[in-house]
Amino acid sequence: MIENNKLEQRLKEGAFAVTAECGPPKGADPEAVMKKAEMLKGKVDAVNVTDNQTAIVRLSSLAACSLLKSAGLDPVLQVVVRDRNRIALQSDILGAAALGIRNVLCLSGDHQGFGNQPEAAGVFDLDSIQFIQVVKTMRDEGTILGGEPLSKSPDLFIGAAANPFADPLSFRVVRLAKKIRAGADFIQTQCIYNLDRFEKWMEMARDRGLTEKVFILGGVTPLKSVGMAKYMRNKVAGMDIPDAVIDRMEKVPKEKQREEGINICVETIQRLKEIEGVHGVHVMAIEWEEAVGEIVEKAGLLPRPRS
Amino acid sequence: MITAEQKPIEEIREMIAPYKRILVAGCGSCVAECAAGGEKETGMLASTLRMAAKMDGKDVVIQEKTLDRQCVNEFVIQLDESIDQYDAVLSLGCGAGVQAVAEMYPEIPIIPALDTEFLGETMSQGLWIENCLGCGDCMLHYFGGVCPLARCSKQLLNGPCGGSMDGICEVNPEVPCAWQTIIERLENFKALERLEEVYPPKDWSKKQGRGPRKIIREDQQR
Amino acid sequence: MTSDKKPVLALFYCQNTHASGEDERQALEQKYGDSLKLFPIPCSGRLEPLHLLKALEDFADAGYVITCPEGACRYFEGNLRAKKRVERTREMIKSIGLEEERIGFLINSKEGPKPLTDLADEIMDRLANLPPSPVLGPSVQGRATGSRQRSKGDKV
Ligand code: SF4
Ligand code: SF4
Repeated sequence: MIENNKLEQRLKEGAFAVTAECGPPKGADPEAVMKKAEMLKGKVDAVNVTDNQTAIVRLSSLAACSLLKSAGLDPVLQVVVRDRNRIALQSDILGAAALGIRNVLCLSGDHQGFGNQPEAAGVFDLDSIQFIQVVKTMRDEGTILGGEPLSKSPDLFIGAAANPFADPLSFRVVRLAKKIRAGADFIQTQCIYNLDRFEKWMEMARDRGLTEKVFILGGVTPLKSVGMAKYMRNKVAGMDIPDAVIDRMEKVPKEKQREEGINICVETIQRLKEIEGVHGVHVMAIEWEEAVGEIVEKAGLLPRPRS
Repeated sequence: MITAEQKPIEEIREMIAPYKRILVAGCGSCVAECAAGGEKETGMLASTLRMAAKMDGKDVVIQEKTLDRQCVNEFVIQLDESIDQYDAVLSLGCGAGVQAVAEMYPEIPIIPALDTEFLGETMSQGLWIENCLGCGDCMLHYFGGVCPLARCSKQLLNGPCGGSMDGICEVNPEVPCAWQTIIERLENFKALERLEEVYPPKDWSKKQGRGPRKIIREDQQR
Repeated sequence: MTSDKKPVLALFYCQNTHASGEDERQALEQKYGDSLKLFPIPCSGRLEPLHLLKALEDFADAGYVITCPEGACRYFEGNLRAKKRVERTREMIKSIGLEEERIGFLINSKEGPKPLTDLADEIMDRLANLPPSPVLGPSVQGRATGSRQRSKGDKV
């Protein structure tokens, strides 16, 4: 067990874990991070910090994680392979561990063409699965790629993302298995709106015995408006929002839509709690961190146990 | 084949502006196949540039010649007899052709008329697609004949990513997801379980070793 | 070529287009003399944009192509391809500041196909007010230089 790791501790105790997401500011602005830290403190077990999400330049994930840590939160460092080659990735892993960061989420990252630096060269030296394997080898074997030993291994709880809604469905579970084989300890999923398909995916995962080997946290994102729901459905790759959800948002007047979004989110969490093999929830309230406390409370997940 | 596209005429005119006697040199190989720098395109460009010069009242000589291959010295050398008449060469070769001419005639400025794009295939008339990066260590047998480096937008060797939907790449709706194709191919061969293994990181030293790569074949040398 | 200011047209036409035989050709040559140069081609799909450009470069104020009606090409889609090539060629001359109208494309009508003579008249009318091409310059001399250069180029 990794020292001072609330997330790992909570999951290993068999409790239903709660994580949230914090997007760093577009500036050298520690207060913005601290403000989000205050909002999330005591409401969740760990906080993911996104890494230049949607390929938009922001304060570094590593620095923001360090700030969260100093504020008493347990950060999850998100690292994308889009911007760093294997030298930089391994170096950042060591740096993160040295700063006391205890969780890492290894990702491919949104393509650079989507963000505000579309002229950037995409690195993609390793892919996310290879990266997971590299971190695991660093931690468990104490070596970097190529076998050279480290003076001290990074003690990290390794996470990966999974999208149960992307195609081809039959292959999605294979890919999950691959991530687990590579070394993922926990999985955070893409936002779940289509619970039927998610349950099917979970069933396939259970059939392969994968839920015994990894902690799965279901991802949820509260919808702010019907506009946002439609935008996500039409424009965000790998997003599956059923018509029923859109209808439900459409039926309520505009000023009540946020509330409805939160209700949908809370109901989703309640269903997730019932699904065998789901070990927690990952609340991604995009630029709406203040909603997290309310959602977690309404879902009956407060108070969070202290460690 | 190596594919290329002609630069905008305006850009070409700017680059050739300082010169008075210009040889427009085409290439009859790859860039002819992709209709960028073959004999026809070379003729068209030269003709257009001559007209432009006349309209500007400029007294310049613009002549054209298309070599069979601009990237092979044996062909480049055919410029020997006339090269002295010119004070610049506008090349419609790929980047390799341009450099081969520059190497042979280092005292004459050489100007690229094309933007060299990629190693690709002629899918149908007028449609070329990129499908190889020249990585120096081909893995196509493993991936069902589909190159994940050239054709997956994120160069995943353990794909697909979480954005693959309906067989379309999340990065570009005009592009099929390479990984969807890989999976379908391997399914055909009943070899899908191959993908359960983690494919190890790529050895990029075979592509970007120390400086430009070289192939030496003693049996082919004189 | 005389020094009158009548525009010179290079007219490429598909031999399969309605009433475009030897008689029409002779009639047109008599009517327009040096102002019209006719180039029959077996199918407009065979048209090389280079021909249009060379015509503009060497002697013509305008270059036009006449094709069979859409859907009536003997060689399937030759006329459609010709259209796209002509468009691209227009782009090229536009990029050097020549008027796009100097290159044109005419599709014979399917319902009431016109003879070549009528179509040529139409184009000549359309071009009546076209200023002389800046490419050809004021003198006959300039025109000759253009072609001399080209033949030298071929020999390089
Ligand atoms: S694996 Fe390498 S050599 Fe083979 S097609 Fe892809 S880039 Fe080209
Ligand atoms: S959608 Fe397919 S091709 Fe596009 S980045 Fe993802 S795996 Fe690669």
